[in-house]
Amino acid sequence: MDRQEAIEFLLDHYENPRNYGPLEEADVSLKGGNPGCADVITMYGRFDEQGRLAQVQWEGEGCTISRAAASYVTELTRGMTAEEIENLSFEDLIEDLGREVVMTRPTCATLALGTLKRGVHEYRMRKLSQQDDAPQQAQEQ
Amino acid sequence: MPETEATTAGQGQSTPAGYAHPEVLVETDWVAEHLNDPNVRIIEADEDVLLYETGHIPGAVKLDWHVDVQDPVTRDFVDREGFERLMRRWGIRNDTTVVLYGDRNNWYACYSFWLFTMYGHKHLKIMNGGRQKWEAEGRPLTKEVPHYEPSDYQAPEPDESIRAFREDVLATLHKPGYGLVDVRSPQEYTGELIHMVNYPQEGAQRGGHIPGAKNIPWSTAANPDGTFKSVEELRKLYGEQGITPDKDVITYCRIGERSAHTWFVLTQLLGYPRVRNYDGSWTEWGNMVRAPIEKP
Repeated sequence: MDRQEAIEFLLDHYENPRNYGPLEEADVSLKGGNPGCADVITMYGRFDEQGRLAQVQWEGEGCTISRAAASYVTELTRGMTAEEIENLSFEDLIEDLGREVVMTRPTCATLALGTLKRGVHEYRMRKLSQQDDAPQQAQEQ
Repeated sequence: MPETEATTAGQGQSTPAGYAHPEVLVETDWVAEHLNDPNVRIIEADEDVLLYETGHIPGAVKLDWHVDVQDPVTRDFVDREGFERLMRRWGIRNDTTVVLYGDRNNWYACYSFWLFTMYGHKHLKIMNGGRQKWEAEGRPLTKEVPHYEPSDYQAPEPDESIRAFREDVLATLHKPGYGLVDVRSPQEYTGELIHMVNYPQEGAQRGGHIPGAKNIPWSTAANPDGTFKSVEELRKLYGEQGITPDKDVITYCRIGERSAHTWFVLTQLLGYPRVRNYDGSWTEWGNMVRAPIEKP
């Protein structure tokens, strides 16, 4: 992707944001922001019974790059497992978005993915904790 | 040092009085009245390189600072021919009045003003308040990219009297009569960070500042609405730190962009006669072997 193609790709996501808006009964709901910057983005996700991200939404405010990246991240992560999302690389994301254009704003470019990864990690820890508690609760009953 | 055109033709009605060169500032209403003026070319120069495409002032062309004014090989700006090509592409003649505006308090618009001054263009103006004020006033934006008939622009050799190099900075250290202004954030000045918050912490081996430099962050020259502060406020801001017009002043930041904004304020708004912008800045100084630094 050359510089102009990257600009057009990001612009398309900025102007036509995919999966924008809140998600009810979400497994993941986490707000992220960059200190000293106006970027504030909330990522939502809901996993299906197979443990894959069935729905992923975002909302918030920020610069062109942070908003475009959030839109792209929702497309990128749909259908992934929690582990797959946690293993996604920020470097790969920057390549996908167009390194030449976003390299000066990496925190904006990675805000949505970083927020989603944290939210997914918290979700996975909650699930593990519930699984650990389940046998003990069964014994107590 | 080159002087900017002295005329009142571009002075906005509401520009605060008292600036040394009020003719270099135009207000948004002046720009709105000159959208179709063939003698005026409007250029948007943003830090956010996507903004122009989301909508710009009708008739404005885009200056992409990553590619348009940088030499792709050397650590330098484009040469005279490169600048001529740029101006010809935009249909700018030698007598065209160029109005620069952009995001973030006209950060890159002022950087472009400094560069274009070095390249010898005489008719330069900044739209006070920049993109932020134009948008806040609900003025029109368009996605239509204009095309202009190429011009035969002729540029002189760059006048580097407004540009400082590392030898110039070394020669001023600890000498009276000189003033060094570090316009970066306080965290960069102290060495806690090497770049602004949220930006890649790269570019220099060490943090800190050039010995004797005063820390006056560039954006303190602007009001919340993106316009420049009053002449009284600006005099106080720099004067209280000993940066006075009797001195030979050098401004610097990380790569010379933020400091070009301060260069604009000191030379055009306050009328300081001897100000140079050190565009090598901390990226060069912080990497130089045995370069003296201060790090509290």
